[in-house]
Amino acid sequence: MMHILEKKKLNQILTGWAEKYEVFAPQKVENYSQFLPFTDTSELTLDEPHNTRLPPKALFFPQSEVMLKYNSRRHKLEEVEFAPKPRILYGIRPCDAKAVTLLDTVFDTEENRDPYWKARREATTLIGFGCTNPPQTCFCTTVGSGPFNHDGLDAIQTELDDAFFIEVLTEKAKKLFEGLPTATEEQEKQIHTKQDEAYKSMTPAFETKGLKQKLDLIFESSYWESISESCLGCGICTFLCPTCFCFDIVDEVQRKERIRNWDTCMFRIYSQEASGHNPRPSRKERTRQRLMHKYSYWLDHIGEIGCTGCGRCVRYCPVGLDIRAMLRTASTLESEVVHA
Amino acid sequence: MTDLIIKLKTEIKRLFNENIVDVVIAFKKEDSPLRPQPAFFRPNDSLEDLEYNSLCQNNLANYLTKYPHETRIGIVVRGCESRSVNALVVEKQHPRENLYLIGVPCQGIVDFRKLVYQTGEEISGYSENQDEITVIFKGKEYKFDRQSVLHDSCFRCVHPNPVNADVLIGEPLPEGDSSIVRKSVESFEALTKEERYAWFRHEAERCIHCYACREACPMCYCTECFVDHDPPRWTESSVSPAGTQAWHIIRAFHQAGRCTSCGACERACPMDIKMTYMTDKLNEDMLKLYNFESGMDDKTQPPFSSFNLDDKNRFVA
Repeated sequence: MMHILEKKKLNQILTGWAEKYEVFAPQKVENYSQFLPFTDTSELTLDEPHNTRLPPKALFFPQSEVMLKYNSRRHKLEEVEFAPKPRILYGIRPCDAKAVTLLDTVFDTEENRDPYWKARREATTLIGFGCTNPPQTCFCTTVGSGPFNHDGLDAIQTELDDAFFIEVLTEKAKKLFEGLPTATEEQEKQIHTKQDEAYKSMTPAFETKGLKQKLDLIFESSYWESISESCLGCGICTFLCPTCFCFDIVDEVQRKERIRNWDTCMFRIYSQEASGHNPRPSRKERTRQRLMHKYSYWLDHIGEIGCTGCGRCVRYCPVGLDIRAMLRTASTLESEVVHA
Repeated sequence: MTDLIIKLKTEIKRLFNENIVDVVIAFKKEDSPLRPQPAFFRPNDSLEDLEYNSLCQNNLANYLTKYPHETRIGIVVRGCESRSVNALVVEKQHPRENLYLIGVPCQGIVDFRKLVYQTGEEISGYSENQDEITVIFKGKEYKFDRQSVLHDSCFRCVHPNPVNADVLIGEPLPEGDSSIVRKSVESFEALTKEERYAWFRHEAERCIHCYACREACPMCYCTECFVDHDPPRWTESSVSPAGTQAWHIIRAFHQAGRCTSCGACERACPMDIKMTYMTDKLNEDMLKLYNFESGMDDKTQPPFSSFNLDDKNRFVA
C-alpha cells in the first residue's frame, strides 16, 4: 500500500511532525544542500538530483562530539548530558540510509556499543527519498544498493508529478502517514515502472566480483604510486564519505573538554606514531588504504563492501580522482605476489 | 585537439628527446570532460591523454615540492602558476636550473561548478573559444559567456601571462584590470568591524577541517602544518568556532607576500568557503606598503622573510 503526499501539502505535514519531533530536511546552504532542522522558513532542496554535500552520518556521529568535561573547581570529570529528542530525517537518499546500516556494524555491536550512536539511531525515523534521476557520479547499483533500496529506511518516497508516493516500511513510520490517501493500483504500477527505469538507467561502473581478491593480490603494486601522484592528501573523500567512521579523541585543555573528532586515513598524522615511525609514510599507502578498506577490509569484517556508491568522493575530489576509474584499472592489473 | 595542445605536445616531446627534463607536470583527460586531472609524464609515456583547457583547475606548482631537488621538472604554467613557481624558487623549494617552465597565457579558469549549477552534472561535451564556453548536457548544447563562468579569482586576475617562462606557447594577453580586485577589497573594507567579523564567521565556520585549501596551495608545503603540531597544540582540532577561525586566520597570515591569487584554495573547498577576500587584502597591503607582488621574479625575498641592517624600522628591540 502506498500513501499519496501531495507536494503542496508537504509543508503542512512537516510542520505537524515538527510539533512532536525534531525534523531534519535537506536545505539550501550557499550552493549546496545540507540536512538542517526544519522551520517554517526552510528552503528545501528536494529538486536536487543527488544527496546532500555533507553526509547525514554527521547527524548520528557529529564531526566534533564532547564526551567529557572537567570541572576544575571541583576537580572532577563530568559527563555530558545526552538525551536526543525523537527526530525524523526526511529526504535521506537510499545510499546514505544504507551507509547508516553499515555504520551500525561499527558502532553498535555486541563488543562495541557506542551509546551516542545508539541513542541517536533509536531516536530517529528515516524517511527516504528514492532517486528517479540518478546522476552520473552515482554508482549505488554497482555496489549492491540501488536508487530505491530500502536498507535502513522506515519509509521511502517516490516522486511523481505533483505528489510523493510513500511506501511505509516499518511500524515506526506508520503513524506519520496516517490519514493520507492511498494510491490506486494504476498509480502504484506507474511508480514501480519509474523505479525500474531508475535502476535501468544506471550501468555498472566496475565489476565487483573478484575485486577484493584482486586488490589483495596487488597490494604491493606500483599502481598505488601512480594513482596517488595527483592526490592532494586532503580529507574531502573521507569526511564527505557516508561510511568513513575514523575518529580521534583529543583533550581541548583550555575548554576542559574531551572531544571526539572525525579523523581521516588520508592525513599523515593519522598513522603517525609517537616514536616518529609512520606505517603509512606516503600518499601511496594512504590512497591505497582508502580503497582497500572499502573494497577489501569491510568484506573481511562483515562480508559487505563498505561503499554505497553515493558519489561524493567522485563529485568533490579537487583533482578529479574517480574511485570508479581507479577500481576499473586495478581490476585489469597483473596480480603480484603478496608477501606472506 | 586544439592547436595549443598540439604545440604543447610538440614542446614536451622535444624536452624529452633532448633530455632536458625527467618529468613533465601537466593535465590529462579524465572520463568526465569537466575534470581534467593533474598528470605526470615521463620520457616514454604516451602524450595522447594530455589535456589543456580552461577547466584545468589546479595549480600545478603545488606538485613541485613533492620532488627531490635533482629532478629536472618541466611544468605547464599559466600566469599565477608561474608566479607560484617563482615564489617557491625564492624559498629554495626547487632550484631554478632544474625547472623548465612551459608558459601558457591564461584566459582564466572556468569554474566547473558554475556550469553544473546551471545545467546539471551530466555534461558529456565541452568546448571553448575566446568568448564562449559550450557544453553538451543530455544531448543539448548550452552556451555561456566566458566571463560569467570564470572562477571568481580568475575574474579578478591581473597577471594572465606567465612570468619567467622558458618558452611561451600562445600569444601574450593584455594585463588584467587591477581595479576589479581593488574594488572587491574595498567593498570588504567598507564594512563595519562587526560586519566583517560576521562575514568571516559565516565563511570560516562552515569549515570541516579537511584541509583541501592547504593541500591545494603551492605555498603550503610545510612538512608539519601548525594545526597538526602536538605538543604543543597551537589550535583546537575540533570544528568549534575557535578551531575553524584559528585555521582560517593563520592560514591567511602565512600567505602574506607569498600568495599569487590563484584561487586554488577556493576551488578545492568542498564547502564553498570564500578565502581569497583575505589573501587579496594581504596582497594589496604588500603592494601598497612594500611595493611587492609575490612571484614576479625568482630572486626577491618577500618582505616578511627578508631583513637588512639598514632597515629604517626598529624591528628588533
